[in-house]
Parts: sequence; structure tokens; C-alpha cells
Amino acid sequence: MNKQSIQKSAASGLVFGIIVIFFALIGFTVVFSGLIQKALGQSLGVGQIPSISSFLIFLGLLGIWNGWRASRQDKHETLSVKKVLGRSAIAGLVAGVLVMVYALIVGALNNSGINLRTYLSQLSSESVRFFLFNQTIVVGGLIHVFYSTLMAVIGGFLAVASERSRERVKSTRESIQKWSQDRWLGKLQGNPYVSYVLMGVVLLLLVLLPRTWGAYWNYVMGTVGIYVLLGLGLNIIVGLSGQLVLGYVAFFAIGAYTFALTTSPEPHNLVWNFWIALGVAVLAAALSGILIGLPIMRLRGDYLAIVTLGFGEIIRILLRSDILKDFTMGPRGVRNIAGPTLFGRSFTTDVDFMYLIILAVLLSIFLARRWQESSIGRAWLAISQDETVAQATGVDTQKYKLLALSLGAAFAGLGGALFASRNQFTGPEDHALMVSINVLVLVIVGGMGSIPGVVLGAFALKGLPEILRELESYRLLVFGALLVVMMIIRPEGLWPARRPKLEVPVEQDHEPVPLPATAGGEK
Amino acid sequence: MEALRKKFSLTLPQNSIRIIRIIAALLLLALIIVRAMDVAAKSQFGADTWLRLSVSGLIIGGMYALIAIGYTLVYGILFMINFAHGEVMMIGTFGGYFVFEAFNAIQVSGADGSQLSFLNAYPVIAILLAFLAGMTIAALSGLFLEKIAYRPLRGAPRLVPLISAIGASIFLQNAGQLLFGPQRRQYINPVVLDRGIGWNLEVAGSTVVLTYTGIFSLILSAILMVGLYLLVQRTKLGRAMRAVAQDKKTAALMGINVDQIISRTFVISGALAGAAGVMWGIHNGLFNYFVGFLPGIKAFTAAVLGGIGNIPGAMLGGMFLGIVESVGPAVLGIDFQLKDVLAFTILILVLIFRPSGILGEALTEEKV
Repeated sequence: MNKQSIQKSAASGLVFGIIVIFFALIGFTVVFSGLIQKALGQSLGVGQIPSISSFLIFLGLLGIWNGWRASRQDKHETLSVKKVLGRSAIAGLVAGVLVMVYALIVGALNNSGINLRTYLSQLSSESVRFFLFNQTIVVGGLIHVFYSTLMAVIGGFLAVASERSRERVKSTRESIQKWSQDRWLGKLQGNPYVSYVLMGVVLLLLVLLPRTWGAYWNYVMGTVGIYVLLGLGLNIIVGLSGQLVLGYVAFFAIGAYTFALTTSPEPHNLVWNFWIALGVAVLAAALSGILIGLPIMRLRGDYLAIVTLGFGEIIRILLRSDILKDFTMGPRGVRNIAGPTLFGRSFTTDVDFMYLIILAVLLSIFLARRWQESSIGRAWLAISQDETVAQATGVDTQKYKLLALSLGAAFAGLGGALFASRNQFTGPEDHALMVSINVLVLVIVGGMGSIPGVVLGAFALKGLPEILRELESYRLLVFGALLVVMMIIRPEGLWPARRPKLEVPVEQDHEPVPLPATAGGEK
Repeated sequence: MEALRKKFSLTLPQNSIRIIRIIAALLLLALIIVRAMDVAAKSQFGADTWLRLSVSGLIIGGMYALIAIGYTLVYGILFMINFAHGEVMMIGTFGGYFVFEAFNAIQVSGADGSQLSFLNAYPVIAILLAFLAGMTIAALSGLFLEKIAYRPLRGAPRLVPLISAIGASIFLQNAGQLLFGPQRRQYINPVVLDRGIGWNLEVAGSTVVLTYTGIFSLILSAILMVGLYLLVQRTKLGRAMRAVAQDKKTAALMGINVDQIISRTFVISGALAGAAGVMWGIHNGLFNYFVGFLPGIKAFTAAVLGGIGNIPGAMLGGMFLGIVESVGPAVLGIDFQLKDVLAFTILILVLIFRPSGILGEALTEEKV
């Protein structure tokens, strides 16, 4: 083993040691061990410390990953057992020793009777003992070292095994792909009825599911639906026209408050019809998009981001302050917001609302798709690629940027109005900066400019946390880390946008010929 | 005739948009002046209130200036807003807090044999170490922030590092909440720097207190700013930083290790933010994981106000913003709840009317 290899292994171990310590400090070890225990089918009360075996599984997974990463230092080399053994053992040992040092310090402090929770809120006495496997400090620390090394070595062996079998896996996968391509995918892909059938199944599910899965799921999925609306709107602004807007919640708030003030009896006693109020809310949001957009159209990138962030905060502070108290009820918020009515019939059960949201989402997806694939969408694309070039080629950048902002704002207004109507309440705290961040994260994680990506992102970021309730307090932490990681390893998102290909079809087996410059305005 | 028609045609040339903007700015200025005179005529506040507000504005402004320098240094080199800079300040605040807590727990016997906490027995050492700890840990977090979140994205489109920075900011804020809990904590100051106590000045028949913590913060931030200015203007590192800010490629050709200079820039800006964080804790007392958010945005406003990329501009902008924020509501006769709105409004107005800031060179379109 050369020096460089040892250094790399040690660095990997160091990183994993720090990760384990960080997880312990934020209490993630306890929560995730609990999740593992539940996944194994054992019960766990609220606030109860999970069993040691689930903690060992959690640590083991991290250790295996550590060994795996440490062994595969160079893509091009073939791994041998000897190489891997040394690397993974070093990585595991370094991580284990680091964790042991932490465990010794924390354990000693805990034993001396200092209440660590006054400083580090997750380190209760039980959780510290849990981290030491309920053993004494020294024994617990040594277990950490041995276990980490063992698991890292196992990870290293797994890396070797996976590499040895890679060729076989690859050939098997290829043969399966070929088979399925011949047998069915090839036939299905060419068949237009397949997509109709799929659409039909989805529609049927959308009609049936809200009736069957109960109020809780209607609530969760309704929230996801509203976030899909918001995501579609922000996708137009950020994903298509390339303007980073951080104050998207301002439009959401304007939609929600317009709807609330026009339908609630309390501050103004304007009890308008639901549908009229909805339309007015959407229009107000779109108009505010233009009004906010007009003065800041010259700004690009980071400046636009921070100015819109400022707008969002201004609106929230104004709503919360006493100045607008007579107009918007101040911090108390607006209550008794009307639900929808249809032909004189009230329309406010959870199932009805779910249908309404589904309808709004479908309509929005349809509209967003039409815009995206029209000449407007191409203008947005040009602006997001390079604004100067777009302007030089005759795109009226100001007009299209404003259009993107107001259309995106209209979606937010619709989402806000539906949100206010469903909760029958809206207050300043519904419109905090976190809404903007959530929507931005779901657009970026799903894939900027991609409509299926928005839907996927909304499910992943709003639906999953509702299912994994235990992880609720780690949600934003994960969002932040996800943004950084996505930008580094996969900036195009989970479901990247596919550009419409509008090239002149060329014969097979030829390089695509670029269009001659005189081909006309159409790309 | 043709010439006349051209002159009065409805399509506005670029120049008249500028004239319109200037007219709008003048109108706005006139409006503010009229309003201020209106309020002044009522003479709601005496000289003592004005003095009190200005002093507190100056103190906060010094902290804003220190944070704003960090934004400006990083922007000057990487052309990106380091969104997580406010969180770096938060980390510094926690660093100083833990040092004070530890020293408060250690008991030593004083000169007359009585039991004292270390904090009160050796206040100078305690304060020095608190600042050292806060600045070091903030500098380290700045260093790792750049290594992990920004360096892999060098050369990516400009939106990409910005989103990464927003992500890092959210991550650090929530890590702070999970580590230290959401509750507000109170800085334990040494007795010599007790909050709320200071020199009493008799102005217009009432006493104005110049708090020790405030004056201490103001002096310290002035010292740090002078130190930074000397560092950038006089030392080899400063020359290298300026070279990298001007042109990375040429600087690399001249034998400057660009990556290293960028790292050091983050270390310096982190250390300044950490110092501001400890000052914030000493002066204001209460803080929690969210302490960096508003100062971060306001310091950014200050950096833009002074002309981003310009170090004296950031200092001036910070001071100016601090004073406007604390005197402004009284001048305009609006509620003090709205001081944050005032700061954001200034940011928006500056970006609309003079994106290059007070001292900034005219930015090219590409930089804006």
C-alpha cells in the first residue's frame, strides 16, 4: 500500500467518523434506530429509546458504506482482496477511533453528572448511554472501534464482490433489456393506445382514491396538490425563464389574502361567491407579479433572488404588523373563509376539496405544458440560456420575463386561494419564507423545467415527510443538504426536463446535420 | 418634419428611461424630505431620543459592516452571494457563548481570597478567548463551507452555486436548531461589560446611557475594519486577493494559487462574521439559532448599498444602514415594528436606482 492510498482511506474514515458524531449530536441516531426497529416490526412507544440491535444495524450500514467508499478509490483499477482489506480496515479504524474519542468525552461528562441537555439539546442522559450500548464508557468506546472496523472490512469485501460480479450483472441486464425490448416494450412504445390506457388508469385512480382513503390522506394529498400548483408556477419562473425568485410566497400570500378578504365576513363583510373570489385572487396575484416585476426586471441572478426575498419578507412583516390591522386583521389572521359552492350546494367535504384540487392541478399541468411547448416557452428557454444572446436574436426579454413572473404568480395565487379556503383560515405565519424555500427545493430536486419533475418533487418533499412523521424535525436539514448535494452531483434534478426536439429528421446512421442559417424563424 | 416626428415618437430611447428613473428618484427623495419635515415640525422626540437612536444605530451598524465585508470580499472574487454568511455569524455567536459559559463555571479564588468565577476574575482574558473562539470556529466553518459546497461548483452556471449557498444556509440553520435547541439563550457577560450599564450623558434634561457593551463593540469593529483594510492594502496576501478579484486567470499565470486565496478569503470573512457574532451576543444578550438570518440579509443590503466588491463601501454601507434602521422610523414617523421593512425597501430602491451602490464602480450588465 502506498502512502496516497493510506491517506485517502484515512480521509474517508475521518469523514464517516464526523458524520456519525454529527448524527449522534442532532439525535438522529436515536430516531433512525427507532425507524429501523419499527421497520423490523417491533413496537416502540413515543419517547422510548430503541433497542441496541437496531442501533447496531444503523451503525453497521454506515460502516459498510465507509468501507465500500474507502476501497473504491480509483475507477480504473481492479480491486484485490489484499488492497481492499488494508484500505477498509484503515478507514474503519479511523472512524471508530474518532467515534470512541467522542463517546469517551460525552460519556465521562454524562457520568460526572453534568446535564448536557442545557447546551446540546439532544444529548439526554439516556441517549448518551444508548450511544455507548448501555455499557461502561471504555467498553462502549472499544465496541465502537471494533464494530466500525469489522463493518468497514465487510463493506470492502462487498465492493470486491460487486466488482467481480459486475460483468455478469451487466450482461444479464443487457439480455433482459433486449428481451423486453423485443417482446413488449418495442411493441408498446409504438402503440398510441398504451398512453391512453395509462391516462385512463391514472384518471380512474384520481376519481376513486379520494373516496376511499379517508380524511387524513385527503388532507396530506391535498397539501401535496397545492404544492404541485406552487411548484408548477415557480417552475415557469425559475425552471423555464431562469429567474431565481426567492419571495414566491409573496404571491401565495396575495392570493390567499385576496380570497380570504373577499369571502370572509369578518374584516370587510364581503361574502362573495367562491368562484368569483377565486378568479379575483388569481388575477390579483398575476397583477402583483407584473407590479413587482416591472421595477426589478433589469436585475439578474443573485440580485433578483435577494430583492424578491426582501419583497416576501416585507409582505409578511406588513401582514403581521399593526398598521394593516383594520384591513387584514393583523397577526390574528382571517377566519371563517368560505368554502366552495356549486349550483347552490355546499361543496366543502374533504373528498370534494380533493377533487377540486385535482381539477386545478390537472388544468395547471395542461396549461403549463401548452405554454412550455409554444413559442413563449422557446423564448423563456432562450432567456434562461443566455439573456444577452436572446435579446440579440430578437426576443423581447422584458416582456417574456414579466409574462413568466405573472403566470407563475397566478399559479401561486390559485394555490393560495385554495389553501386558505380549505383551512378556512389564513394568517401571516402561513406565509413565512419557508414556503418559498420548500417550493424552490421541490422544483430543483424534481428537475428545473420539468413538469413530471415538479409532481415527483412535491410527492417526495411534501408527501414523504407526512408518512415518515418521526423525521419531521430533520426535514429542513435534509432539504438544505439535498440542495447542495443535488447541485454537486445532479444539477438537472431527479426527472430532468427533456427538450422538445424540433430538428429536421435525418436519415439513420448519419450525424445530425445542423440547420442552415437561412432556414427561417422556426428553430 | 421627419426629425421632429422622430423627436416626439412614442418609443423611448434608452436615455429617456434613465431620465425617467432619475426623476422618479428625485420625486421619492422629495417625498421623504417633506414627510420628514412634517414629522419634525411636530417635534415628537427630543434631542436625547435622537442621540440614543443614532448611537444604537452606529453600534449595530458596526456589526453590519463587519458582516458586509465578508459578502463583499467573497462577491469580489467569486461573483456569488454567500447566502450562508449569516449562518457563519450564528456559529461565531455560539462559539463565544460557550467560552463564557465555561469560564463562568470555573471557580477561582480572587485577590482577597473570595470565590469568583474565572469570568469575573480575569475578564480581559475571558473576552479575548471568547472572541478568539468565535472567530476561529466561524473562520473554520467558512473554510469548510467553501470546500464542500462551493468549490466543486467552480465554473458552473451562476444559478448553481447560488442554490448551493441557499441549501448550505438552510442546512446550517437547522443543524444549529437541532444541536442547540430552539430556545433563546442569554450571554453571560463579565461584570465589567454588564449590559445596560454605561456612561450617563445629560442631554436635554434626560440621561442618555452610552452602554459599555456598545462602545466596546463599536471600538472593536473599528479596529477590525482598520486591520482588514491594512491586510488587503499592505500585505502580500491582500495583494494576491486583489489580483484574484481582478482577474483569476491572469493571477494564476502570475503564480498565485487561486484556490488557496479563495479559501483564505472565506477564512477572513468568516472570522469577521464570527467577531460580529460574539459582539452581537455581548451587546444584545439574547440569541438562538436564527440570529444570523436578519443580520445576514441586512449586511448584504449594506454591501450592495456601498457597492458590492468595494471594501470601504461595505463599511460605509453597514454604518449607514444601521443608522437609517434605527433613526429612520422616527424620522418618517412610522412604527418601529417596520424597521426591517425599511431595510428591505432601501435594498430594493438601491438596486432599482443605483445598482452600483454609493461607492461602487459602474457595474457592467454581466455583473448585475
